[in-house]
Amino acid sequence: MLDYFSDCWKYLPSLLGGLKLTLIIAVVGIALAIVLGILLCAFSISGIFVLEKIAGIYITVVRGIPLMILALFMYFGVIKNSLDLLPSAIIILAINASAYMAEIFRAGIQAIDFGQTEAARSLGLSYFQAMYKIILPQAFKIMIPSLMNQFISSLKDTAILSAISVNELTMTAKVIIARNYNAFELYSYAAIIYLIVIALLTYLSKRVERKLSYDKR
Amino acid sequence: MSAIIEALHIRKLFGDLEVLRDMSVTVEEGEVVCLIGPSGSGKSTFLRCLNRLENIQGGTIKVLGEDISAIKEVNRFRANIGMVFQHFNLFPNYSVLGNMTLAPVTLKKYRRQEAVKKAEELLLQVGLSDKRDVYPVTLSGGQKQRVAIARALEMNPKIMLFDEPTSALDPEMVGEVLDVMRKLAQQGMTMVVVTHEMGFARDVADRVIFMDNGYIVEEGTPRELFEHPRTERCQAFLSSVQ
Repeated sequence: MLDYFSDCWKYLPSLLGGLKLTLIIAVVGIALAIVLGILLCAFSISGIFVLEKIAGIYITVVRGIPLMILALFMYFGVIKNSLDLLPSAIIILAINASAYMAEIFRAGIQAIDFGQTEAARSLGLSYFQAMYKIILPQAFKIMIPSLMNQFISSLKDTAILSAISVNELTMTAKVIIARNYNAFELYSYAAIIYLIVIALLTYLSKRVERKLSYDKR
Repeated sequence: MSAIIEALHIRKLFGDLEVLRDMSVTVEEGEVVCLIGPSGSGKSTFLRCLNRLENIQGGTIKVLGEDISAIKEVNRFRANIGMVFQHFNLFPNYSVLGNMTLAPVTLKKYRRQEAVKKAEELLLQVGLSDKRDVYPVTLSGGQKQRVAIARALEMNPKIMLFDEPTSALDPEMVGEVLDVMRKLAQQGMTMVVVTHEMGFARDVADRVIFMDNGYIVEEGTPRELFEHPRTERCQAFLSSVQ
């Protein structure tokens, strides 16, 4: 058994290369998803019927489709050869995560008591001043655990993008297994690498959460 | 004395529900007017129409000489009217000082130093100087409401609106908030107060308005209204709360 795992170091460089791509896709994808999610959230609380409908349909459709189908459809059906693999993977992840992000933002903002907005407006602050100075800072604090969850979830979802052969961590493991049939050990390595990264992220999010809490002062 | 609030024939609808029907109220400068009446009678809604937190469907409201439906810069207008809410609505992400200085500094009414100086004076007035730097979560209900009053006063309002300021308080904290309001009335502030504190209305108000079902049922000095209510509905209400 020990013998079996003894050559793990041999694969480490290629696996870490895959991890690098996984992280790039996740970080850039989520960053884009946040921008898109903010826009969608602004649509859905705008009070303008058409914009609310657009956001509603987008969110329902994207959340209702498995990521695998979205990836295959987008890459082989829509993007075809017009973009490289990496940007394609990032865009696909961003589309998927943006729908969830939009819902997290909306829920966070709507969780803040409307009295906060009224108090701010009664003091003469504008809608945007009230949003920026009072509602969003409070909403953001509520959102952090959900945002972190979504990030972790999306990071794991990148494994599904091996369906379009982007060379992230799971795909790298698959390629090596295709050569040497060591499925047990290589998928174990991949799993352990995911686990370590996600454990670190979870720890980090707990710390951020604690730091931003004003309830304990 | 001149009319500082002049509301004429106000109608307010929530969907099909008519919550204010033909309300007319005039408030003179320096006057303290208390609105009393059962829940759902439209008292709070009327108050919220005065600074345009709610829009009216009929009638006109003139505040400080301006027709408020026609005001373009509603934020500048609102800065002249302080409002105190039942549930305090302090901003939990700012300290007491932050709560008080946020609006005047953001709106460039005063520079930061002046705002802080004024805030400290007001905190002294409401008896909370030692709470300057704490966060709202550490305050009691009565303290929160006193900070909320100070926060509204920081903007130097010409009118103060109180929406059931003591209804969410534990009984032993009602007194401290009413004391602050009493002092404010003595200083000549124009105040419109929605309240269930009949004692306060009796002692402090220049005029008391009894509302029911979106109408003004009866209106008069505290003495007239509390001791010789003319209408049956007012008599029934007063006997049920006293």
